[in-house]
Amino acid sequence: MTDLQLVVAHAAKVALLALIAGIVWRGRARLCWSFALYALAILLGNILVSLWPSRFLTPSFWMLKQGVYDILKMAIALELAFRAFAAFPGAARTARAVVLALLTLSTLVLAFATPVSSFRTLWDWQPSVATAALWLLAATALMVVWYQVPVHEFQRAIMLGLAPYLLVFVVLLGLLRQYGWGSRVPVATAEALAYLTLVVFWSWAAWRVDMAPAPPGRSA
Amino acid sequence: MTLEIALSTVGCALLCYTLGRYNRTLTLQRWHFVLNAPERQAIDSLRERMQLDSALARQAFESAGHARESERHPDALTILRVALSILEDAGADRLTRLRAMSVYSRMVRAIKPLPPPSARPFRGAELRAAASVAGLLHRLLVGAEERFRLWLLVLGLGVRIVLRGGRQSTEAAARAPQRPRPWEAFARGMDDFDALDSSHLTAFEALVVSLSAVDRGDRLRLWEQIAGGSR
Repeated sequence: MTDLQLVVAHAAKVALLALIAGIVWRGRARLCWSFALYALAILLGNILVSLWPSRFLTPSFWMLKQGVYDILKMAIALELAFRAFAAFPGAARTARAVVLALLTLSTLVLAFATPVSSFRTLWDWQPSVATAALWLLAATALMVVWYQVPVHEFQRAIMLGLAPYLLVFVVLLGLLRQYGWGSRVPVATAEALAYLTLVVFWSWAAWRVDMAPAPPGRSA
Repeated sequence: MTLEIALSTVGCALLCYTLGRYNRTLTLQRWHFVLNAPERQAIDSLRERMQLDSALARQAFESAGHARESERHPDALTILRVALSILEDAGADRLTRLRAMSVYSRMVRAIKPLPPPSARPFRGAELRAAASVAGLLHRLLVGAEERFRLWLLVLGLGVRIVLRGGRQSTEAAARAPQRPRPWEAFARGMDDFDALDSSHLTAFEALVVSLSAVDRGDRLRLWEQIAGGSR
């Protein structure tokens, strides 16, 4: 780990603490429990790797934490879709069908068209996982706008932040594949900077005060 | 890898474009209006608006007819265009409401059933054909919600057909002011617009009745679910 990477990792740690504090203080956890878990998992991973690199900055730990992050990212996408359409039975039927189709397609691609996951060939399988999560988010966003379903600003911020980051992640993996392991330092630094930007954006969204109209019947 | 980058780029662009333009306050205000709207008042106000639009368009059309009978063709065309613009404004209003009704219909668990679309009230051939096909489709659909949305689709299509016909009739009248056919077609279009308005009102009434079936407690719970977590 270079000095710059260490500085970025510590800055991300501070931003993650601000994010988690915002989630707790503003009561955002109930808007997406998976996201709260994801933030905690990221913080834990960050602490372990940056404070005890000799023990945790290893391929096997990277595989473990990335697996947990991937599962939580999928859970975030599914929970956001579920929460957005929970109050709208008509739209929820369509949402269920679309999400099920995407999940089936992703599972088939991951099972039959993606090589077995290993650290040495992470560019072969990680982009498929990231793309699947991104498309679940995109499908949810499209349906939210199509049906004019209200989603909370924080839920919107989760999607608006995660999607560009996943795109950057996929592109960086492409670069890593093209230039080989020799390029891992600049690629990892760029990824860490992108992630820091994402967490700062999420922290801002978590602390932001949101206003909503009064409940029905209380105004003319 | 190239495929994944391409797919991710498209997905990300779609998400950022749609959610970037999404306005939560506006969406909440719309739902707030739906959950707050006094039912009878909303129906009466829509009925009055439709009567006013129809009266204005008919008055303009009749004035254009008088001008044409008096051989004042340029005046007749100008007033006919005024009648068309009244119909176009009314049509835009109907299309916006139909879209909103389609959205709000997804909120209710059960919707008051509507009769199958029929060609009987319409005079235009295209509109009659569309209504007949919709009548057949109505029998194939099972759920009241799907049937309701089919109604809305037919009404939207009908408005577009009438407006297109109105524009064509006005252009034809401008080319040959003496010919009675474009004027007759325009008059048929106005009758069809009134028939569409009547069906529009029936659909609106069905939706409002279905929404009012959600009692106050449920409305508050629904509102909590929709707007919850605001701090």
